[in-house]
Amino acid sequence: MQFFSFLLTVLVPFVVASAAPAADYHEQLNLKPLPQNSLLASFNFRSNTSLPEFEAHNFRFFPRSLGQILQHAGTRELHLRFSLGRWDAETWGARPWDGTKEGGTGVELWAWLEAESDDEADHKWLTLTNALSGLFCASLNFIDSTRTTRPVMSFRPEGDHPNTTMANMHLLHGVLPREVVCTENLTPFLKLLPCKGKAGVSSLLDGHKLFDASWQSMAIDVKPVCPTGEECVLQIEQTIDMVLDIERSKRPRDNPIPRPPPSHELKCNTTKPYHADDTCFPTDSLNAQEWNLNQIFGKPMLGNCPLTDPKTPPVCIQAPHSRDVFTSMGVEELKEPGNENQRCYLLPSNDEEFHLSLPFMPRDGDRPKTDADEFVQPATPLLYAERSLTGHGQEHGGVQAILTNPSPGAEVEFVYMESLPWFMRIYLHTLKARISHRTGSDAGQTLHDDDDVIKEIYYRPFLDRQRGTQLEIRMKIPPGSTVFMAYDFEKTILRYTEYPPDANRGFDVAAAVITILPSNSSTTTTARRMSNLRTTSMLLNLPTPDFSMPYNVIIFTSTCIALAFGGLYNILVRRFVGRDEGPEVSLVKLRRRLQEAVQKVKARAMERLGAAGKEAKKVEGKSD
Amino acid sequence: MSADIINDGDSKPASAEATVSLPATGIATVERKEPPPEKDADTRRRTWIVISFWLIAVFIGLPIWWNTTTIYRANLPLTQMTDWADGKACEPVFPLRIALDVGSLPEQEAQNLLRLTQHALDDLNDFSGHHLRLQLAQAPAETITPVRDDSNVALTIRLAPGDAAHTASSSLHPHLPILDVQYPPNSLPTANSPSSGLATYIATQLGSTFAEEQNIISYLLETSSITSEHKPKGISQEVVDTVSKRMTRSLKYSQTYHLTFSLFTNGPVPSSWDIEAAIDEYLKPVLDMLKPIHDFTIDTQVQLYAAPGVQSQVLGKEDLSSFINAAEWPLSPSIGGAPTVNFIVYIGNQTIGVPSETSPGETSQSWMIPQWGSVYLLAPPAEATHVSSETLKQPILTFTSHLLTLLARIRSADLLLRASSSLGSLARLTLALPSISIPSNVADGVVKTIHHLELACASLGGAKSLEHARIAEAEAERAFFEKSMVGQLYFPDEHKVAVYLPLLGPIGVPLVMGLLNEIKTWKNKRSQKLKAA
Repeated sequence: MQFFSFLLTVLVPFVVASAAPAADYHEQLNLKPLPQNSLLASFNFRSNTSLPEFEAHNFRFFPRSLGQILQHAGTRELHLRFSLGRWDAETWGARPWDGTKEGGTGVELWAWLEAESDDEADHKWLTLTNALSGLFCASLNFIDSTRTTRPVMSFRPEGDHPNTTMANMHLLHGVLPREVVCTENLTPFLKLLPCKGKAGVSSLLDGHKLFDASWQSMAIDVKPVCPTGEECVLQIEQTIDMVLDIERSKRPRDNPIPRPPPSHELKCNTTKPYHADDTCFPTDSLNAQEWNLNQIFGKPMLGNCPLTDPKTPPVCIQAPHSRDVFTSMGVEELKEPGNENQRCYLLPSNDEEFHLSLPFMPRDGDRPKTDADEFVQPATPLLYAERSLTGHGQEHGGVQAILTNPSPGAEVEFVYMESLPWFMRIYLHTLKARISHRTGSDAGQTLHDDDDVIKEIYYRPFLDRQRGTQLEIRMKIPPGSTVFMAYDFEKTILRYTEYPPDANRGFDVAAAVITILPSNSSTTTTARRMSNLRTTSMLLNLPTPDFSMPYNVIIFTSTCIALAFGGLYNILVRRFVGRDEGPEVSLVKLRRRLQEAVQKVKARAMERLGAAGKEAKKVEGKSD
Repeated sequence: MSADIINDGDSKPASAEATVSLPATGIATVERKEPPPEKDADTRRRTWIVISFWLIAVFIGLPIWWNTTTIYRANLPLTQMTDWADGKACEPVFPLRIALDVGSLPEQEAQNLLRLTQHALDDLNDFSGHHLRLQLAQAPAETITPVRDDSNVALTIRLAPGDAAHTASSSLHPHLPILDVQYPPNSLPTANSPSSGLATYIATQLGSTFAEEQNIISYLLETSSITSEHKPKGISQEVVDTVSKRMTRSLKYSQTYHLTFSLFTNGPVPSSWDIEAAIDEYLKPVLDMLKPIHDFTIDTQVQLYAAPGVQSQVLGKEDLSSFINAAEWPLSPSIGGAPTVNFIVYIGNQTIGVPSETSPGETSQSWMIPQWGSVYLLAPPAEATHVSSETLKQPILTFTSHLLTLLARIRSADLLLRASSSLGSLARLTLALPSISIPSNVADGVVKTIHHLELACASLGGAKSLEHARIAEAEAERAFFEKSMVGQLYFPDEHKVAVYLPLLGPIGVPLVMGLLNEIKTWKNKRSQKLKAA
């Protein structure tokens, strides 16, 4: 520990580097302690290439493998997401990057392709998904026409596109909710970075920790950016957000199995009446844990990536200034005067490992620390959303989405988009939105202006085996209210070969995408930007057949045919004679022989019995 | 037997209980009687019934079963396919027309020289596949345009009278297919002489000019499965080795090649290079020359922190193959079907420890990876972060020579033989796997391949043959790698038994038994009739 130096408040005037794309490569790690011993780690990597260089196929920081695919498929803007887990909005609050850099569970891809016609766009989309599937080792090639939608209200291009290309741009969107995101997706992700996980903040990324996180999302966004007065550039932004359970990620890698702590380390709730030396009711161990970078990421950070602007701090932590933070020698701590909750660290330009450690802060003693010293209270999200399956039986299903606007004063307007598989035959006429107060004296009461909730519906019905349902609903929820939106659907029986290998597991239904529209009236900064939110994906149980069915059918029909045929044939072919005229049937013969044998035995027994009786009588006679 | 019981009852009336119980058990007590004689009409009807059941089963049941369960196999012209594969369908002849531009010689003398030279050529060449045919040039070759236009003429010999004192000398034009021959005026053959020094000289010169090409064609024919008499006899092992090395190195033919130039370095520097300027200066001229045959796209990339697959300072021969760290270096396969040629400049301190005498022309800093590309090891530049255009001169020049090696030149013959051998493999596969299904598009592909092969064979040596050979090769590949054929349906015999037994058992047994009974009675009747007779 001696090489750590405790950096006291050194006020260095510093300006956070704006997102100006002048610097060719930029990377940053943002650490944000969350309640209940969680930690949000946001990695952001951004590199630019000028458009002429890109068109001349000269790649420097922009990855060639991806660039070649984009050129081949005529892609103007690309967004690719790999996500795992669930963001616990109740505890962790608002999402990082306003939810714009996350996807639904599994893999999500949307892109703007330049094409003259819809058919050409479909063809390019096919090329793009196939090429990306090879690059990222994901089953993106399974995004076929049944999983592809063309959203109308939900997505907007983020890049600066000239008006001439805008006219020919086609937005296509595809989701694979079933895809399990794993290490094989992280490796190609890291390969796209100029420093390749060998230096800089990317050296912290490790598959074991990333995919062990409570929630994680990997994002790749490619878009053209035209800063005013400067040359247009093509920007690739790679983002990894993960929420680590500190206690869980501190487990050593060689001993990852959780074991119960020894009894003297147990923290007991002493207020329980049955508390004794041998009885313990464990308290929720919510005391802040101490942690350091090495522990929670499993490896140290190997210095700076030398391609970045040396004036941009690579690591920032968002915690109250009262939180103790130790770093290794030579590291400069920067504090922004206006921002009480952020500190950044500027690394020396040598290749030395960077260490950062947050020690345990005692809750008692001279200056007891509280939760407010541990972490910044997370901001309330603009909207809470959850979605679940209802319905009964093998045929009737239903979906219910519960959307809550927690804000006491501002109403929220958003687009709710579902892309459902074709085997969920939804009945749009059953779509109902019920609104009720959540807060205040009239809590729980239903409002009467139900019709006002849904402003606009875009619906593109499914076609069997060709395309899924696309449903986009623009809604407005008044402050402090909850909307219950529900619709019914019918489950389809699929063809025998259409079932996946483990059909009884169920079918994944992609997450609903909620795009919160910017509101000008709102005062908060987050509400003025477009932000996103995704529900969890659903597991739909379809009626599954017994897969040995073909054999059963064959055997059953064969038996029926054989029965009918046998009877008919016998009647036609047999000659009918009197019972005593025909040849003896073998079964009758057998039965008769048995009877004969039984009779013989019987007769012999009778004989013996008779003889014995006579003798007995003789004896009796003698005795008389 | 039942009579026995009755007899028993008769003989032992004491055991009457047993006989009393018998009626309950049924028929056993009934005395056997002969059935009344069957009517002839009934017997005949039964025979008809059995026969008609069998007729239905055989003439309706079997064909339906056969039709519904057979795997679709499109008709393939198997004999034609094997003919192509065996080289019986096409006589690979590469006639090369060589124009003799005699300049100011009189017609008679020129004809004479032509005849003699052709004789000498035929004597020199015993391989019928590669044929040099002389003709007189139509116009004097002073103007180059007519020569270039006439695509059938492979080479023009420009004869010019030289110094009388010297023997004949020749030189190849550096850019144009022209062989300049200077001859002493006295060496011209006289009208009736059987041979001439000049004629033999020209023949030998031509032979050596086309020796390489001839060797390659010989090699191709030798290594292909062709067993016909067109096979050249006896090319030396040495020639086979050099040619085979060249052929295995070269890339598969394609219209377009992606050239990818990558700068790899183990650390963070250098991170930029003047590759565009270097390519424009050193590579573009060669690419412009190849433009009529191939299109090229050029990509460049810089990859930092790329550790090679081999860590040692001095690279041994076996290290060269594992130097490319395929798992980590982003050299992923190209898209769009065209092959990628990779050129890698690796900045590092490694050196090659093997003297490269096996392949002259390679410097000790670079090596070529057959059918893939080449690697150049470059010492870290003085200016640490940037690689200048001058530093890249030597690597790019090396890459240029490697590129020419990687692009093989004998195209149409190679493609033709490749397509033929694909056809042969497909034919063999069809015969070897009777349960594989052959969709109709495979048959279409085969027909197209054969059509284009015929066209290519007919115009071999001409410009069109390359086009036809290319289509033929692509079609053959497509037919061979047809997706639905790859995953062939496989039903094990146990499954077939499990499916058929429940049906065929209960139906087949009565049918067969009925037939047997019928045959038996028919035999009995016949023997009775014979006896009666």
